[in-house]
Amino acid sequence: MSASERFVALTLAWAVAGAALAEAPAQKTSPEQAPAHKTSLDQAPAQWLERMNQALTTRNYDGTFSHWHGGQVEMLRIIHRMQDGTVSERLASLDGSGREFIRSGASLTCYLPDKRTVLVEQRPPQESLVGFPAVNDQTASFYDIREVTRTRLNRRATHVITVSPRDEYRYGYRLWIDDSTAMPLKTQLCDRRGHVIEQIVFASLTLPSHIPDSAFKPEVSTAGFQWLRNESAPPAPAAATLAWNAMRLPPGFRIAARSAQTLPGSADPVDHLVFTDGLASVSVFVEAQRREPADQPAVPESAAVGSSSAFSTVIDGHKITAVGEVPPDTVRLIASHFKAEEAPSVSSRRH
Amino acid sequence: MNEELDSQLSAMFDDELAPGECELLARRLSRDEQLKARWGRYAVVGAAIRSERGVRLNAPLAGRVSAVILTEPALAPAHGARRAGVRWWQPLTGVAVAVGVAVISVLWLRAQAPLAGGPLGAHLTGVTAGVPSAPVVPAAAAGVPDSYVVPRAPAVRAMVPSTELANYVVAHSVFSSPVPRRNLLSAFMTSESGRAADEPPDEPEGNVR
Repeated sequence: MSASERFVALTLAWAVAGAALAEAPAQKTSPEQAPAHKTSLDQAPAQWLERMNQALTTRNYDGTFSHWHGGQVEMLRIIHRMQDGTVSERLASLDGSGREFIRSGASLTCYLPDKRTVLVEQRPPQESLVGFPAVNDQTASFYDIREVTRTRLNRRATHVITVSPRDEYRYGYRLWIDDSTAMPLKTQLCDRRGHVIEQIVFASLTLPSHIPDSAFKPEVSTAGFQWLRNESAPPAPAAATLAWNAMRLPPGFRIAARSAQTLPGSADPVDHLVFTDGLASVSVFVEAQRREPADQPAVPESAAVGSSSAFSTVIDGHKITAVGEVPPDTVRLIASHFKAEEAPSVSSRRH
Repeated sequence: MNEELDSQLSAMFDDELAPGECELLARRLSRDEQLKARWGRYAVVGAAIRSERGVRLNAPLAGRVSAVILTEPALAPAHGARRAGVRWWQPLTGVAVAVGVAVISVLWLRAQAPLAGGPLGAHLTGVTAGVPSAPVVPAAAAGVPDSYVVPRAPAVRAMVPSTELANYVVAHSVFSSPVPRRNLLSAFMTSESGRAADEPPDEPEGNVR
């Protein structure tokens, strides 16, 4: 079956699933999780984004969705639970790579059966409750946020919110946000011209009041897998003598976090800086470059993960890698303008 | 009809064709020799003009096409209808060599679906121009025989090994907004499988509730 035929099949399956989607939330949503039926009639579009973020981060949900990018469609399942202040999340590819990503509190585990590898990252305690970038007035000055229509999707009333970038440094979104639960039932990532470059559509979605621990167990067998952990303690702040900073940022981006850490499978410390405009974010990782005699000179490189971009270059003997859900030029701009300055210490802190 | 096709080809080249139409056109390209030739003109322009304005083509792809052009001993003259009013390919000769490349170009441009059709390393693209790399051709996905050979490029050490990039992606995801984060992780979950294009995909499973 070709990709297009497969897409049609999935679309049909999605349509069939409409009834289930329409009924499931009503059946499984607990009273305490029932939507705040604050009238939605006059809510500003930006408020819908806030409500959506709130729903995605605080609700329990279990859904299957299609992910489309570059002509390929794959199905994934996401299970999200907030229990006693601890977030548990499992994202699994139902076809294709079979990868799974499981987060439990400050622990992130990524199962890569295609590489027979498991990455385990333990976030420092102070970062375990990371606040997401918040949409604010400054954000609104770099995006045009509008509610363009209200429509029914899968028998649910939705608000279609468009988030259009005002420049070429960020992507835009079209979001079909459920009127009742504020969950995004459909999401399109768009370039500046409004062309869809990535799409996520829920085929089924339930909001159960209780999700058992067993739902967060991986299905892949890890026998014989290589386990990479970042078990070593983060480097002492005093050990750092250089503070890396961005000398130039795209308009609206500001630093949101900075930490010194080690990544799974590596003993070398890495500086991790996060920049955000309130919606899009870019991480920059700085580490001393390991030189091997046989190596050819490294050249700047670009990579992509879906519509997200990565760019790596070397500055003053350090490898600078920027990763973010932004166009390629944005990560390139940020990484290319990094510079080291003398600093008394580089400690883990949020801004 | 020709005008309509030209219009579609032009839109495809400018990345302005709807994904569905693009896929249909790509399929037609795979079996329509005349259309291939027509597309070849678009593709060779993008490759040969080397950053002339108005053409959006990825630098590594341009490098690969350029390499082919430069290494091809005999360049056949162009045949087939020309699109009236489009003059930017007229100075170019030897466009036929791009026919094979053209199919690759179409599929590559559309299947840029980075990381979706091959190993991560294959999607690491050197920024430095003129360093051609191995082609990323999801040939089986479109039923196109893998009949084109791109000159081998000198090996360049990947600066960001895939596991390292995976680390970065996971570490970054903690700081993303919910929606971009879900997009990022979803793309990561579906990336590098590289098998969907090699084998016919399975039927959708009955787990859609």
